[in-house]
Amino acid sequence: MKITVGIVDYGVGNHASVRHTFRELGMRCRTSDDPATLDDCDLLVLPGVGAFRPAIEALRARSLDVYLVECASRGMPLLGICLGMQLLADSSHENGVTRGLGLVGGEVMQLPAPRWHIGWNTIEVVRPDPLFASANGHAFFFNHSFAYREPNSHAVCQCVAGGPFVAAVRRDNVVGVQFHPEKSQSAGRALLRELARGLVSA
Amino acid sequence: MLKRRLVGVITVKKGWAVQSFGFVRHLPLGRPEVIAQNLDRWGADEILVLCIDRTLADAGPDIDLVRRIGRMGLSTPVTYGGGLRSVDDGMAVIQAGAERVCIDAMLWREPMVVRALSARIGAQALIGALPVSRSGQTIAAYDYLSRTERPITTQTRALFAQQVISEALIIDWQHEGHARGFDTDLVRRWPLPGVPLIAFGGISEPEQLEELFCMEGVVAAGVGNFLAYREHAIQNLKERVRVPSVRPAEYECKP
Repeated sequence: MKITVGIVDYGVGNHASVRHTFRELGMRCRTSDDPATLDDCDLLVLPGVGAFRPAIEALRARSLDVYLVECASRGMPLLGICLGMQLLADSSHENGVTRGLGLVGGEVMQLPAPRWHIGWNTIEVVRPDPLFASANGHAFFFNHSFAYREPNSHAVCQCVAGGPFVAAVRRDNVVGVQFHPEKSQSAGRALLRELARGLVSA
Repeated sequence: MLKRRLVGVITVKKGWAVQSFGFVRHLPLGRPEVIAQNLDRWGADEILVLCIDRTLADAGPDIDLVRRIGRMGLSTPVTYGGGLRSVDDGMAVIQAGAERVCIDAMLWREPMVVRALSARIGAQALIGALPVSRSGQTIAAYDYLSRTERPITTQTRALFAQQVISEALIIDWQHEGHARGFDTDLVRRWPLPGVPLIAFGGISEPEQLEELFCMEGVVAAGVGNFLAYREHAIQNLKERVRVPSVRPAEYECKP
């Protein structure tokens, strides 16, 4: 079965690398903010760059926040990338407290000194999950100054920079990765293939 | 482990990728997109596109170029520098497809704009570029617009010290383009401890990279001209750099 990936377009960032990577993996891609178009996809991808508040406001302005929560509740696979992962949380403390989509619990906090995490870092699987098994020990590209923090057990991978923090999270059909697999060359392509196939066939 | 990055630098003048020698002599290489595609294929850790004539001409950033590179869907992070004057310029560069922006003249001309830009895109997305040279026991910044050297200003220092900018690109402008030219004393004498450094200018050999990557504060090294002389130049360098904190050479293996 050829997987169709729906890239959620809410006006934030450039989706070319995400689209290009999935196409290289032999999947179809649709980039849209239209629920009817996204409903025809097998997997939704929520990318994102920039700050939390304008991003969640952009989702709300298009009523995509309600749509994504509804998709997740009916079991549609959803993958958040970088800021897209942070948007899955209950809230963020970036420039004040802002409510998120509430799909994976947790909150998004400023990283401790040096306050950012830039570059290629190895991730460690901390909760066995077949979707991430092959990514254990591989380096991925990170570029962020806020990170997800959670009191529950949804963290799947962690990364160490200063201290440990959550690099990937999964709650059933909802997955988030703090790094950019689409900018992580072969390791990123391999992980995206595993995530897409695994989530769609789950 | 957070890796040290080998950054492929593309210097662009009048829309063409060029080899640059000491900030004065430039030889054409070809289309920047083609160079970027090669660097991506060869597994560079990051690609830095520097349009060196945009600030001088007050032309703003080359958004068309960033967009063209962005549309290629590279699997390597891209940083763009050149011509940025405002917060809107920085936002436009990010929206066009770059992960990070690199600023130069704005550092001393418009420090308040730098702060506003940092607030919008985050300090992690902001690199400050400083062409520098040794001046006695200290370091002088080179203003390529007026072609004069001056101390690094208090305002510029504050931008780094207060973490408004995440990394400093220190360019050995005098030795840029010269094999084995980079002066490591520029790192030793860098006056702001704790500021992550990207070294660039005259870095051609694996031994230089090894030395730099073992120096405190150096998180990345940029290589420009010397990647243009042979195929798979990134992999060749990486295979010869014996430092565990460097991501191994990667060979294209697409599905």
